[in-house]
Amino acid sequence: MPLAHRPAFPAPPGDASRRGRLVAQLRQTIRRIEQRPETLEVGGGRLRFGIPEIDEPLGGGLVVAALHEIAAISEPAIAAATGFALSLVGQNRKDRQPILWVAEGMSLQESGAPYGPGLDAIGLAPERIITVAAAHPRDLLWTMEEGLRCRALSAVIGEMRAPNAIDDVAMRRLSLAAGAHETPALLLRPAVAQSVVAETRWIIAPATSSSTDHGPGFPAFHAQLARNRHGSLGAWMLEWNCVEQRFHLASARGARSTHPVPVAAAPPDRPDRTAVA
Amino acid sequence: MWGREHTEYAEGEIHAVFGKRSNADVLIAVDAAAEALGLSPGIALAEARAMYPDLDATPEDPDADAKLLTAIADWCQRYTPLVAENPLDGVLLDISGCAHLFGGEAALRDDLVVRMRRHGFSARAAVGGTIGAAWAAAHFSETTRVDSGCERELLSPLPLTALRLPHAMVAMLARLGLKRIGDILDLPRAPLAARFGGELLRQLDRALGREAEPLTPRLPVPPYFAEQPFAEPIAREEDVLAVTERLAGRLVTMLERRGEGARRIELCLFRTDGAVRHVTAGTSRPIRNPRAIKALFVERLAALGDALDPGFGFDLARLSVHAADPLAPTQTGFGGDARETAVDDLVDRLVARLGPRRVGRALAQDSHIPEIASVIVPAQSHLATKDGGWAAFRAFSHAVDLSSRPLRLLARPERIEAVAMVPDGPPLRFRWRRALHEIADAEGPERIEAPWWSEEEGSARDYFRVEDRSGFRFWLFRAGLYRDTVSPRWFLHGLFA
Repeated sequence: MPLAHRPAFPAPPGDASRRGRLVAQLRQTIRRIEQRPETLEVGGGRLRFGIPEIDEPLGGGLVVAALHEIAAISEPAIAAATGFALSLVGQNRKDRQPILWVAEGMSLQESGAPYGPGLDAIGLAPERIITVAAAHPRDLLWTMEEGLRCRALSAVIGEMRAPNAIDDVAMRRLSLAAGAHETPALLLRPAVAQSVVAETRWIIAPATSSSTDHGPGFPAFHAQLARNRHGSLGAWMLEWNCVEQRFHLASARGARSTHPVPVAAAPPDRPDRTAVA
Repeated sequence: MWGREHTEYAEGEIHAVFGKRSNADVLIAVDAAAEALGLSPGIALAEARAMYPDLDATPEDPDADAKLLTAIADWCQRYTPLVAENPLDGVLLDISGCAHLFGGEAALRDDLVVRMRRHGFSARAAVGGTIGAAWAAAHFSETTRVDSGCERELLSPLPLTALRLPHAMVAMLARLGLKRIGDILDLPRAPLAARFGGELLRQLDRALGREAEPLTPRLPVPPYFAEQPFAEPIAREEDVLAVTERLAGRLVTMLERRGEGARRIELCLFRTDGAVRHVTAGTSRPIRNPRAIKALFVERLAALGDALDPGFGFDLARLSVHAADPLAPTQTGFGGDARETAVDDLVDRLVARLGPRRVGRALAQDSHIPEIASVIVPAQSHLATKDGGWAAFRAFSHAVDLSSRPLRLLARPERIEAVAMVPDGPPLRFRWRRALHEIADAEGPERIEAPWWSEEEGSARDYFRVEDRSGFRFWLFRAGLYRDTVSPRWFLHGLFA
């Protein structure tokens, strides 16, 4: 800021107190200019679901300049959590900026790497993804922070396998970096972990999709908002419409009408139990 | 120029190195004390031991020798970028145009010998107008300098081995009474060539400067480099980085003049004890900005950490550009694609810190095989274009109405136990990673045939997109055609959102 070094009105020499006052005044102005507005207008700094029931308790959508935690309810549900996170950050079709995806090499081995044609299928251009396979959790955190600092990315997604690999201090660093550089940071986890730093925490389980003539339909999620700094919590059945590129509320279906045997879905909070016929 | 290495030992001991030659242990190298006692390379080890029971003989280690020679060649880069190893025990330097930097050819030679001695090697070196003359002088003469045109005088009294000829040829010439180079200098060329082949005359011509002899440098000579010697060695990382930035500033001037930008940059740090550290950094687009170059090395040095090990400090730093691409001068304006360069800079920083293979971009390839259709390539490689082939992929997938693909693809398909309702239908239930999944809905099969040239067994795969009763969606396949397989093998290949 050149203003800081060059007062707009040069004070007459010798008038030290007046000059001091002027400098203080100018500094205040600069601080006001530089300060991030506390609340950004709805739609501008928000990742919106486009569903009033969800956007309203969040205050208009997920705050962009913040850290959000997206936990998979069980290990195989990591794909659903991935889909949820990517649909959320990729829904703005006008945004062509890259998305940084950082994962430990191990989790890419275990749960698979993001697959280009699959990204395309949910409506996210695969050329936007930059993948990083980190060797250690500390590399992962460093990469995420570096990505946030770059300001040119649409989002930084970190996939953390071990539940305790990241402590509150590291989380706070990420959260501050996301806030300072107005880039959303999403932390994907294959298991539910407790942390008090994130702006919101989502627990994602897959939900049965609406069946079509061609087998399973659009991706459906059971999204539970387990932490929200701005309002109430809730749980919703969401469907990602890959064609329209937006979320829909889906009605919860216990049993599928197409199936001859009545079944109960596995309770989302008890992933160890499989469905019972 | 030529150097020979020996480690210095305590006095009064005699040392030799032995190795197997024609199935017998023979001495390969002896030290000065042993030589004075009459031992020489070629004597059988048993014989030498019989003469001097206190002979300290060490078995040879050709790999270690080669490594040492490489390290010495590396170190010689401080004099000139054109350094070639001359197995088994020599190094050739092309010092044309470099000598004045060290105060002349003689001063350069003395400096080299003194420094080698300080590192514990005894070295012999000679400067010559031709490789052959310098080599002969270093090996067989006390002369340290052979001026152009004086090669004949130098070579005449030297034995024929000084022409770098095969042993068999030297032995044959000796049988004919030709022992010194002078003996063949004035012989008629045609009979010599007819009797001994072109090799003899070629070596003679090369030593005399009648024929050019190319020197093949060990490392490619960088198109741009800048270096900085230090009177006092530097060891701190901050100092190294400050020097890097200063050197980068000098490189940038050269790059600008030719309208190029650096793609691969190497920082060589010459340690006082002779070791040379190489730190390389790549960029995803040509750069010509000293601060950006420094930023790359900040990350590289941070990633190296203790591996850099400055020891007692570095006394010479060299920054060289090994690959450069055209880079038009740009006017930085208000609009522009600052965000694009910001992303490239980010990729460069990540690569510098984490390594080139860890940062990738997805590339679409023209293949039906799922694991080949999309691969992750290093983000800095030339394959990782802005489009990555995805526009073509989208056109293709739209045209053929490609069935949905999983969001995450396992690196290797995982074997599952599955029970199918009908022989070639989707499975009814399957077990993956010990959890049982009851399938509620399925789409398929989508048959993907391996290319006909593939040698893999069970070439065809029948893919099914299935959803279990809890809503988990998977991509499964049965390997091979149903009619060909006795017990079908099922695999899980991907996970849908």
